[in-house]
Amino acid sequence: MGIAETCKPALAIGCKWGGTEEEPMILFPEGAIRIQGTGLAILALCDGQRAFTDIVEELQRQYFGADPQRIREDAIRFLEQLHEKRIVDY
Amino acid sequence: MLANPLALIAEITHRCPLHCVYCSNPLELAAANSELKTEDWLRVFAEAAQMGVLHLHLTGGEPLARTDLEELIAAARGCKLYTNLITSGMGLSRERLKRLVDAGLDHIQLSFQDSRQERADWIAGTKSHAHKVELAGWIGEHRIAFTANLVVHRQNLDHLEETLAFIEMLRPGRIEIAHTQYYGWALENRASLMPTAAQLQNALRVVAAAEERLKGTIRIDSVIPDYYAQFPKACMGGWGRRLILIDPAGKALPCHAAGVIPGMVFDNVREHSLQAIWNDSSAFQRFRGEEWMQEPCRSCDRRTEDFGGCRCQAFLLTGDATATDPVCSLAPRHNVVVQALGVSTAEVISPSGLSEGWKYRPNPGRV
Repeated sequence: MGIAETCKPALAIGCKWGGTEEEPMILFPEGAIRIQGTGLAILALCDGQRAFTDIVEELQRQYFGADPQRIREDAIRFLEQLHEKRIVDY
Repeated sequence: MLANPLALIAEITHRCPLHCVYCSNPLELAAANSELKTEDWLRVFAEAAQMGVLHLHLTGGEPLARTDLEELIAAARGCKLYTNLITSGMGLSRERLKRLVDAGLDHIQLSFQDSRQERADWIAGTKSHAHKVELAGWIGEHRIAFTANLVVHRQNLDHLEETLAFIEMLRPGRIEIAHTQYYGWALENRASLMPTAAQLQNALRVVAAAEERLKGTIRIDSVIPDYYAQFPKACMGGWGRRLILIDPAGKALPCHAAGVIPGMVFDNVREHSLQAIWNDSSAFQRFRGEEWMQEPCRSCDRRTEDFGGCRCQAFLLTGDATATDPVCSLAPRHNVVVQALGVSTAEVISPSGLSEGWKYRPNPGRV
């Protein structure tokens, strides 16, 4: 997997939060994507301060009862997708 | 139910220190003293955000000509709009760039005309190239998105490879290769700007190679110019569907060129709210939906994808704004596009030898 435990994911240059509280979005030069559900929970923690390992720990706390390994894998997949779209840097 | 627009294109001025021959601004430019005041724009931005508009594209003319640009950007940030500045960079100092970024600028789109100074200045009709190079370095000092925009045409396509290599060194996050669109001044200069089929083929090869080489570092966006495409572009994402444009004097238009279509009445944001204009103005309703369509559009499967193409181009090339965009290979009047491609002569002009009909865009004065 391409995400190091110690890296600190953050929104990429030129990306920012927008939309409304009920319908949060990430805005970037050519468009916008709606962020919801677990994606929202993951991205809200990507502040450039928290390390990936801390983000996973925090998610495991938030989704207590869910399979911790599954949470980690979901977070990796989601961040890799957004990295490919150049919305997240890590 | 009618969806609200997603983006606001604010043509905040038609003043511009450049005189680019490919400019798509209307031939009748808005006079300097007809421009909206700062407070008018602030109200428009707030109304746009209220309607759910996400992106604000500040364009012109040259938006930097407005001394209140910092204030406009700060206000746009205040209502959470994503602000994109489309600029030639002329006259932008390092200090003012910092002020714009501090005010909340999210994205700067800097135009380039060519890799070679003499040719770039010749296309722009003014000396502007050297400053852009310096400015690109300053942009790199900030955490904002940076797109380099290159308008391509017959006069610069032959050395596209060299131009891309030059732009690459300026380290933009994205390069937009925009084929000239034939409206306004560009249409006046079409015979000198239309690429040959061979140039286009070569450009496709160069762009594909650059995409491969720059994967993961610089993204390249490029589309086939519509005169050479099989089907028309979904102009503005469809008439009155996604975008609203306000011209310097406050007129609300469904697209940059809509003023060329006879009989159109454009409501002004000085007199009407943006929402009222979007919902009810005759200009925005004129080509919304499919009622206006003729055959072959009316029964074509592609009508929900390309909306019959561009209404302005249909009018400019056929005299009928409800016709199928003649760039479409299925259009009854497609022959006018084939002819335009045929008459474009193969010569590339040199900066010293101006061809007849090479018309520079003027700078609007006061009326």
